[in-house]
Amino acid sequence: MTNKKLLLFLRFIMILATILIMVYSKKGLHVWEPGYLIALVYFLSNLVLYLIPNELFKKSRFSFFVFLFDIITISLAIYLTQGIETDFYLIYFLVIFVASVSQDIAGSIPIAVVSCIIYIWLTLRSHPGVSFFSAPILIKIPFLFIISLVSSLWSESTRKELKEKKLLEKYNEDLQKQVTQIAAKEIELRVYNEKIIDSVPSGVIATKGDGEITTLNPEACRVFGLKKDPILGSNIKGLEGLSALWDKMAETIRTGLAVSRDEVTVRGSDNRDIPIGFSVSPIPGHGAHVPGCVAIFKDLSEIRSLEEKLKHAERLSYLGKMASWVAHEIRNPLTAIDGFAQLLPTTTDQKKIELFTDEIHKGSQRINHIIDDILAFARTKRKVEPQEINLRSLIETLIKDVRIKVNVTGDPFPISGEAESLRRLFMNLINNAIEAMGESGKLDINFSNDGIWAVTEIRDYGPGIPRKFLNNLFTPFFTTKERGTGLGLAIVQKIADEHGGKIEVESIEGEGTIFRIYLRILQTDGPK
Amino acid sequence: MKKRILICDDEETIRLLLTEALKDEYEAVEVADGRDVLKLVTKEQFDLLIIDIKMPSIHGLDVIQRIRERGIKIPVIICSAYRLMADDVVVRTSDVAAFITKPFDIKTLKSKIFEIIGS
Repeated sequence: MTNKKLLLFLRFIMILATILIMVYSKKGLHVWEPGYLIALVYFLSNLVLYLIPNELFKKSRFSFFVFLFDIITISLAIYLTQGIETDFYLIYFLVIFVASVSQDIAGSIPIAVVSCIIYIWLTLRSHPGVSFFSAPILIKIPFLFIISLVSSLWSESTRKELKEKKLLEKYNEDLQKQVTQIAAKEIELRVYNEKIIDSVPSGVIATKGDGEITTLNPEACRVFGLKKDPILGSNIKGLEGLSALWDKMAETIRTGLAVSRDEVTVRGSDNRDIPIGFSVSPIPGHGAHVPGCVAIFKDLSEIRSLEEKLKHAERLSYLGKMASWVAHEIRNPLTAIDGFAQLLPTTTDQKKIELFTDEIHKGSQRINHIIDDILAFARTKRKVEPQEINLRSLIETLIKDVRIKVNVTGDPFPISGEAESLRRLFMNLINNAIEAMGESGKLDINFSNDGIWAVTEIRDYGPGIPRKFLNNLFTPFFTTKERGTGLGLAIVQKIADEHGGKIEVESIEGEGTIFRIYLRILQTDGPK
Repeated sequence: MKKRILICDDEETIRLLLTEALKDEYEAVEVADGRDVLKLVTKEQFDLLIIDIKMPSIHGLDVIQRIRERGIKIPVIICSAYRLMADDVVVRTSDVAAFITKPFDIKTLKSKIFEIIGS
């Protein structure tokens, strides 16, 4: 209720009380006596107040003057009636009460003081013989103040409570709004996150620690051939086709370690094997506890299919190149064999016979060498039967008959490998180097170890390999030599691969070429 | 006076074979590099050129083309390991007298040479 309404309401009660007292007091007035006119003025004043704007009522000074008017009106009623003997003095209590309720204690005390002064003046004026300290005065004055104080304190406390209640209500209202806003934002964020996960072109699947599926995006559904709704909340352990993936996810949940760039084959709902490339990350929990994990994966079926097609095309391409190469390479020595065989019967000259048979022999050797190269290159990649090999001894047997200067340095750790294959590997590289340099060249062979690899470095000081050829060096049938078969380095690469090793090549035109062959050091203390 | 045949093949053994097969009836001069053919045919007189196709320094057909460009009308026999070359459009249109595929029969070769230049 506003100040104005409250004040008008209370004043209306006061007017009623005044009229009631006028009517029912034993010393009451008769109709049309001045008291009634006062009551009428009083009532009209309330109507005037009704027209005054609200803002004015908020000012304590205005209220003070209103109450002062009330006190004066009541005092006038007392004065014009039967003086202090009437019951009108009770209206003072009402005014003080109303003033206290409408204002704070600072506003109500002056009203009480004014009331006291006027009441004492009226009493003393109507009873000149009565002492200020007489009982009727002394008893009533403290009551006026007590009423003022008590009602002020009561109204103050009530106002405070009301204010606090209002504040609390407002606070609750704000809190409610904030909760609603946060809830709306949370929903918005969740929807947004779901959209992000759904729009990821990779498959995403997340599970709790016990395997309960919590997230499954559309790509995952597509790859696995599953529908999202019945699967969410079910346990991945129940999906037999995904057991290989779950094994990896369970490992992450157990160890807390992420798995990156791994591959497994899962089985889709149509019983089709699907190779997937995936990474698994643990979902962080408290301390070492991993509450779940998320796997992100790609369907590799198409890539695998393309790889197969590419391999097939490469195989056909190699086959075509090999057929052409065989035709040319074998027919030349075959021509020599066939031709000299035709010439043999035409001569009796022993020297000629020796020359012709020697050429026949060389031709057959060359064909044999070509067949060896084809077999070495074309044989299926196989697992090497490991034996302990000292690379230095192996290479020293290869270079003992070469006609150029070979400088061997360093001491390799023993490696695990197959002697015959490695002999071929190094023979091809050494022959290449010698062919590149001619018989006046020099060859440096150095051995070193880096803890994992035994590194053999073969350096020649020939013309070097043009940069444009470096990427194709190990491609089958690619050759920069005038009479190369194009299989030598392809075989070198193949043997290195079979041994789990690797090859590096560095070449500067005009300065020479370095081949570095990395082969794994034999681990003697570990399990073999 | 024997007729002169220039033999060009990067394979030493093939050059030796052709020389040994032909030297009783012809004077055989052998070179390993097609570029030497270009030098020799301008300097000396030859009655026939027997040339391989696939050679490292210069392709046999390029040699023939350059000889023709210089206005030299020497008959040419291609002696190659590639059988398909015999039907090759390039071979059929480049003024080649004969095409012999390796390995070849020496008697057949000789008869072809005889057909082209006589003895």
